[in-house]
Amino acid sequence: MAKVVVITSGKGGVGKTTSCASIGTALAMQGFRTVLIDFDVGLRNLDLVMGCERRVVYDLINVLSGEAKLSQALIKDKRLDGLYMLPASQTRDKDALTLEGVEEIINELKEDFDYILCDSPAGIERGALLAMYFAEEAVIVTNPEVSSVRDSDRIIGLLDSKTRMAEQGQAVPSRLLITRYNPERVEQSEMMSVKDIEEILAIPLVGVVPESEAVLKASNQGIPVVHDQESDAGQAYSDMTARFLGEERDMRFAEIEKKGFFSRMFGGRR
Amino acid sequence: MKMFKKLFERDEVHSADVARERLKLMLSQDRLQRQQPDFLPRLQKELVDVIRRYTQSSQDDIQISCHALPQRSQIEVNVSWPRNT
Ligand SMILES: Nc1ncnc2c1ncn2[C@@H]1O[C@H](COP(=O)(O)OP(=O)(O)OP(=O)(O)O)[C@@H](O)[C@H]1O
Ligand SMILES: [Mg+2]
Repeated sequence: MAKVVVITSGKGGVGKTTSCASIGTALAMQGFRTVLIDFDVGLRNLDLVMGCERRVVYDLINVLSGEAKLSQALIKDKRLDGLYMLPASQTRDKDALTLEGVEEIINELKEDFDYILCDSPAGIERGALLAMYFAEEAVIVTNPEVSSVRDSDRIIGLLDSKTRMAEQGQAVPSRLLITRYNPERVEQSEMMSVKDIEEILAIPLVGVVPESEAVLKASNQGIPVVHDQESDAGQAYSDMTARFLGEERDMRFAEIEKKGFFSRMFGGRR
Repeated sequence: MKMFKKLFERDEVHSADVARERLKLMLSQDRLQRQQPDFLPRLQKELVDVIRRYTQSSQDDIQISCHALPQRSQIEVNVSWPRNT
């Protein structure tokens, strides 16, 4: 039976979609059958990051309104077996997005998959609430920035009250993923540290992804950054996913990498 | 000493500390508000109306606070009014 995981944040543009694509990809690399659902109806982004935008025929709303079967809307990843995504629609109205409809889709997917990752839209409104409602686990994506941390705290509050698990008196296990982290600026006391954010939000840390040029490059190409194992961000997402699955890994990229003389001189790539 | 510090430190040097402190304050208020039931403002208003129908309490004489106990929520109402001796 699948586990439903929501990738959420409150604040927009912090790296939910980037994270969802890379975590999903990393899970599939480990052999887990994984499906990603884009809940960002109206914007539709996940298919671009996954690089499958040209193969979108039907979307979540088509399935919800009965115009297409779930199996017709699922897009198989071209690089990995066992990785699928269900795209959001770009234009259609969001009214078809109902709790009952989403529940039906999730139940059907549960038969077939190990992990169902829900890429939440920004905000704390309907779309975000729907994305989290059936979650059995949550990854809270946070940037080291006041507004992002505050919104994450709100989202944690919603996970504690507005989810099915909460209604059944249980807490949705939630873990913190800090992205766009810049250890140099933390060293300069210009940016809050991992420890600061962890303390304030009081949920366990599952990973730290540094601010990285590799992320833009990957999204330009439509290849989730975790495929780029040369890059810091790619490695950070591998580590994060391993931790998510219960492995222990050193928290790389949370500290400044002490560069040796040569790499300092010649700017060697990590 | 303080002036020297101000002169030589750029403003942003400790901006992370400022961020942390602001956040702590904000979140403690946010969290308190979250614990309160949605109906609390309405209940407060109605209670004040009812109480003032019977007593000469001023707005300040009526204090209504909400607490979260481990298993239950609790509101505490404190009312006083001037005694006509
Ligand atoms: N670690 C990173 N380093 C550099 N850029 C990043 C990093 N993570 C994300 N970005 C960039 O930040 C932008 C927003 O990322 P993304 O779309 O994943 O955020 P989101 O939370 O899904 O946004 P939205 O709330 O709009 O759905 C993108 O341009 C992405 O390339
Ligand atoms: Mg997104």
